[in-house]
This record gives sequence, structure tokens and C-alpha cells, in this order.
Amino acid sequence: MTEQQTPAPIVEISGLTKRFPGVLALDRISVDFRPGEVHAVIGENGAGKSTLMNILAGDLQPNSGEIRIDGRQATIASPLASRAAGITVVYQELALCPTLTIADNIMMSDMAARSAVSLVPRDKMRREARAALARLGMGKLDPDTRVGRLSVAEMQLVEIAGAIRQRARVLVLDEPNSALSKRESGRLFDIVRQLRGEGVTVIYVSHHLKEVLDLADRITVMRDGRTIETLDNDGLSEDRLIRAMVGRDLDTAAQWSLQPEARSDAAPIVLSVEELTADGLDGLSFHARAGEILGIGGLPDSGKDTLGEALFGLCSRDGRISIDGKELRAADPHASIRNGMTLVPADRRGAGALLAMSVADNVVSASLPRFSLAGFMRRGAVRREARAQVARLDARISHLGQRLATLSGGNQQKIILGRSLVTNPRVLILHEPTRGVDVGAKAEIYAILRGIAGEGVAVVMISSEIPELIMNAERVLVLRNGRISGELTGAGINEEAILARAMAS
Amino acid sequence: MADAVRSGARAPATDRLTLARLLRAREAGVFIALLVLCLFLSFATDGFLTSLNLLNVGRQISLLGIMAVGMTFVLIAGEVDLSVGSTYAFSGLATGMLIIAGWALLPAIGVGLATGVAIGLINGVLSTYGRLPSLIATLGMLSIVRGAALILTNGQPVTVNARNGALPGVLQSFGFMGQGYLFSIIPMQLVFFVIIAALAWMVVAFSNFGFRVYAVGGSAKAARVSGISVNSVKICAFVLIGVLAAFAGILSMAFLPSGQAGRTGVGLELDVIAATIVGGASLSGGEGTILGTILGVLIIGVMRNGLVLMGVSPFVQELMIGLVIIIAVGIDKWSTRRTN
Repeated sequence: MTEQQTPAPIVEISGLTKRFPGVLALDRISVDFRPGEVHAVIGENGAGKSTLMNILAGDLQPNSGEIRIDGRQATIASPLASRAAGITVVYQELALCPTLTIADNIMMSDMAARSAVSLVPRDKMRREARAALARLGMGKLDPDTRVGRLSVAEMQLVEIAGAIRQRARVLVLDEPNSALSKRESGRLFDIVRQLRGEGVTVIYVSHHLKEVLDLADRITVMRDGRTIETLDNDGLSEDRLIRAMVGRDLDTAAQWSLQPEARSDAAPIVLSVEELTADGLDGLSFHARAGEILGIGGLPDSGKDTLGEALFGLCSRDGRISIDGKELRAADPHASIRNGMTLVPADRRGAGALLAMSVADNVVSASLPRFSLAGFMRRGAVRREARAQVARLDARISHLGQRLATLSGGNQQKIILGRSLVTNPRVLILHEPTRGVDVGAKAEIYAILRGIAGEGVAVVMISSEIPELIMNAERVLVLRNGRISGELTGAGINEEAILARAMAS
Repeated sequence: MADAVRSGARAPATDRLTLARLLRAREAGVFIALLVLCLFLSFATDGFLTSLNLLNVGRQISLLGIMAVGMTFVLIAGEVDLSVGSTYAFSGLATGMLIIAGWALLPAIGVGLATGVAIGLINGVLSTYGRLPSLIATLGMLSIVRGAALILTNGQPVTVNARNGALPGVLQSFGFMGQGYLFSIIPMQLVFFVIIAALAWMVVAFSNFGFRVYAVGGSAKAARVSGISVNSVKICAFVLIGVLAAFAGILSMAFLPSGQAGRTGVGLELDVIAATIVGGASLSGGEGTILGTILGVLIIGVMRNGLVLMGVSPFVQELMIGLVIIIAVGIDKWSTRRTN
């Protein structure tokens, strides 16, 4: 569209690299953002989008590379420096004070700029906050409402209202619409267009390709920590974007799914789920057979992240779940374990492991009755079982009394897997089974999972990492908006097919 | 009344004053409880509803109240200060010793207050730049300051009187601060409390600094991103309570007029926190008002006074105070959960 002249970029990034221990999150990326454009940044999970946004926000510092703002080299040393440079990042996790009112939050930067020994101009704050809300079409919100009482969507709009008020020159919206209703996101898009008209640069990080195509002037595609290409949004299609996002070289990976025998087709159904409805899930029905690894994929807001907890009974749910034909009635983790279901949660530090306790204690912690006698732990039996699991999983530990916190991510995950195996599961549910695990340990964990499946366990692998699904699953269910948007089997499991079902409309 | 004040202190403010809104204000519960307590005591005892007794209550709560006002800042900012009892002792003793040593009144008080500032600064720096939880930092300071007071006084009681060397003129003014009456009727301690509470109320409810304290306690991240220096706001809050605890300790020294490092103000920090919490401040930060704190202090003071008038044993009094804390905070949590 804008062929006649390209305005000088407001933010120009070249050769930017960010390394985390063991991971190259950004690999010499280059991208420029121009005034008055809507610039979408898309890419799979782990492509490096969030790292880039965190650097723009001043939360992270790059290892090398250059950032130029208005043509001058700049370092964004802190969130405050970022704001001072005219950059405002609206995070998914919001930076709002729940105990203060809407007006207080919108006007907080103004208050910070005034002297601490001045009066708080309440009427003026209320007036200006109301004006800022009105610009977003939120005029009916009372600026005196405490932010803690608002819905997540309303909070997001309050944060955007604050950013607009500060005359942000660069507004970064990180997955802004995951919490917004259709009407609310429609209003947000109007605002984005209006801001573009006023010369604001809007950087729009999103998984929703249709919206990106509707809204963006240019689109930068990221993959594996690199910027693959920046496209003018002119005659692009969802397919074109998906093709740019994939293209990972998977030939070296042993593709379990492509192995000739479809071994489990005739195996009995172990896990059967009918009309499962829970927070973010809208009537899912599926089954998993003995010996099968069933992959579950989808975007962060697809409902896949609540599926594991809903199946295991950690949150309230509706629908019928049965194991070997026996229905699990109440949402009760104890009953789930008793009936042969076990969960390896995604959040290893929070929900998964007893980090302060020993390897041996962790291994038996889901099966305490078997290892206690009259209220005392049977230490001998605990050690025997722990030793057996450590050997089976090939976990590298110095001794059974070692605290879990001192192990590497991969070895922690193996111990947690061991804890699940001690319960003699029929159904093993894994949520992000290799998050924070290095490459070598990943391959070992995959091999272990195949071994477990080979013993007749139904393995359900919920993962954001598409290669992980492709390498391990015999069948992949893709979720979108809380429903199953596609089922892929065998050779039909590939990155493009999964992304298309997860993202495209 | 509750609502008028509240609206200054970031309540759902409206221009119209309705009964429903009055009842919804956070202090309303505490205020009604106080009212019921006073009504009950005025029927159940002869002595409660006399101006003499009420002024007496006012004096008794003043020192607690001065410290609770400071604690309100610290709690709103999302921190806590356990060292106030020790500061109270140390600063009072320091001022007392200087007066005995023949110092003039203002320098002696100035040094006492300066010790409060110093302790507050240490607390604040440890809890911010030092990255210690304030619970730990001020727990350590509780012991350190108490130990310093013991070393300073060699464990001996300090009594301010002419025989020990205090100048007569100084002794008279110092005594007036603690024991005197304004217009021969209002206890000076109460006068100080009222002035301090009024100033603090204006700061919390109307000043930019007050706004920053709420912002820092409500979400440090939001405050930081907006350009508020979280650390300096917190350090200011600690210095404020340090000074106020020191001042309360000095007033106590002037009232009694003696103190002993091993006994003065021991356990006082818990009373101060209790009164502040009963008044609606929250240990998780971002909540609390000066008016609420005053009401909290009044509830505890009136309750103590009433129990004495009714001849209840001091042992039972302690038990009752504990019940009040749990019931008051319990009702508050229960009612906010219901409205959310």
C-alpha cells in the first residue's frame, strides 16, 4: 500500500541476541518498526516473540546487538526507561493495582511525575480517566470502581487506556485478545486503527492469523529465535503465513508416528471422555487406547492448558470420564489415582514436585498408603521403589536423599514421571512433559514414554511444542476455542496441519 | 461521617450520601462495632460515659494510636514493622538519659527522634535494597534495638527527676508533654495523637505521597512501571513509623517518667499491628485508612477500659482482645468475599 515512501523507523533492531542458560532465545534478529503502522509479530510458541517484547519493555537485557530509537542507539535499561522512550507494553499479565480505582490506575504515571508533596487532584483524575475510557468506548465504566472488581478484559482495556493517555509512541499489545469477547476485541481493533491514524506504532503479537491479516500493515514472522521475514500485508493468506512459520527441519527426528505398524488401532479403549466441559473447555469427546500416545495441541487460549487438570479432577468439570469402562464421578484427584489416572503437570516448580524433599520422598509421594504402616513410612520399601524407578528412568542423582531442587530440569521431570509410574497408572497424562528440559534429556524422556505406552498404558501428551507432538504421538487432537478442531493421524501429523487447525479460522 | 472521609481515601465515591453507601464503606463495620460497644458499656457500667473517663481512655490509647498511624503507612505499602516496641523503648530511654545529663529539652527530644529515623532507615534499606522480607529485617531489628537499649542503660531503670540531674525547667516542660493537660482538661498525649492522626489522614487521603504508598502496596510492578520509586516510598514509610514510635516512646518517658530497657514496650508491636488490622489494613498491602486505624485503636482502648470498669480480670481481658482481633478481621474477610 505504502509504496511511495517509507518513513524512517521509530524503533530499529539489528543483530539482537538473547541467550538464556542452555537456550538461544533470540538469534541475531533484525526488525524495524515504523511510525503509524500496525506491525504484527507472529510465530509459534517458543519462537522468541515474548523475549523480544520483554526486551522492548526493559524487563530483559540483550546479550548483543543494537536497538536504535529515532535513529539513535539506545539501551532500554528498565521498564521506566522503556516508558520514557515512549514505549508501552500491555502484557497478558497486567501491571495494575487491584486495590486502586480505575482512575487511579489510568493516572498513575501522571501522579508519579508530580511532586510527592502535592495534593491528589481527584476531580481532574476522574475527568481525565473518564475521557480516556470514553475514547475506548468504555464511557459507562465508573472511574471510581476498584480495578480488582473488573473482568480481565476490562482490566486490559484499562491498561490500554492508561497507555494511550501517556501518548505512547509505540504500543505493544501482547496477545491482547485472548481474554476479550468478540465485541470487546472489535472495539480494540477500532482503537488500534485510530491510533495508527494518529501516528502511533502498534506492535501486535497474536496467534490469530485472521485478525492479523485484517489489522496489520506489515507482519514479521519469527521461528526458533530468528526473524524469518517481514511481509507487507498485501495479498497474503493464512496459508502463506503458516508456511512461513513452519519449515523446521524435522528429518533427523525419528518419527514414531511414521513407523509402519499402526499398533494400537485394535487395542481396547482405556480412557473415554464424553462431553467434557470445564473452564475453557466446551464439550470435548475423545478416547485413548491402550499403548497409544495421544497428542493434544493448540494455542495457549485453546483450552489445552486446562485439559490436564480437568481430566485429573483438579478443577470442577461436567461430562463423563471413564477408565476401562469405570466412570470417574466426582472431580477428585485421589479417586483419579485410585482408578489408574495420573498427571504430570506443566508447572513443575509449583504443582509438580516437592522441591525441598528428597528424590525418594518424591517418588512415593503419590502412593503413600502403599509405603506406610500404621502411620509410619516404610523406609526400606520406599528406598527399594525409589531405587527401581531411578534405574528404570535412568535419572542422574547422587543419592536417594538428594533434594529435588538440586537436580536439573530433566532429572526432576524423570523423578516426577517416576512418581506417576509408582501409582501403576492405566492413563498417564503429561502436560508440557519437556518444558525446561535440555535436548539430551528430552530424547530420553520420549524413549521412556514410548516404553510406558508399550506396556499398555494410554499416554496423553498435552504440549505446545509441535515437534514434540509430531515425534511422539500416533494421533493428535488439535484444540481451538475449547473444542476439537481437528484430528490427525499417521503421516497426516505435520507442523502445517497442526498450525492450520490451531490458528486458521 | 465514615463515607465522607472514605471518599477522600479512595472509596467508591459518590456525591450522594446514602445509608446503603455508608454501610458499605469499609470502616462502617468497625464503626458500628465501636458504637455497640460504647452503648453496651454506657448501660452496663456507671463510670464509662463520663467525660473524665472518656478523656482517660483518650490518653490511654494515644501512644498506641500514634504508632498505629505509622504502622498504617507501612502496612498499606505492603510491609510490616516488628521493631516498633524496641524503638519506643530505645528512643524514650535515650531522651530520658540526655535530660538527666542536663541537656535542654529540644535537643534531647531531637536526638530521641533521630534514633527513630535511623532505625526506620535501616529497616527500610534492609527491606528494599537489602532484599530481606520486612518481617525478617524488622524482627532482627527488634532484637538489635532492644539489645542496644540494654547496653545503653546497662539494664538499669532510667528515671527522669531533679535528683538524677535533670534541669528543673526542662523537667517541667518534659513532664507537661507527658502528664499535662491542655486547658486543664485534655491530656497532652491525646492532643499529640489528634494532631498526628489529622496530619497523617490528610497525607494518606489527599497527598501524592499517600497515593504512592497505596500504589506501591497494591502492585509494586504497576507502581514501578508508572515511574514511582518503590524503594524510596517504602523507606519513607519505615522512617515515618520509626519517628512516630520514637515520639511515642519519648511521651511515655515523659508520662511515667521512667523506663527500663528490659521491660518498656516489650510486645507492643503486636498491639500496634492488631489495632491497625482491626481498623481494616491488610497484611498483603494496598488496604487501610487512617480513619480505620483510629477506629481500630478506639475499639481496643474502649474494650480494655470497659473490661476494667466491669471488674473483669486482666487475664480475661487479654483473651477478649484476642477474640476481638479474630472476629473483626473474620467479619471483614467474610463480608468482602460476599460482596465480590
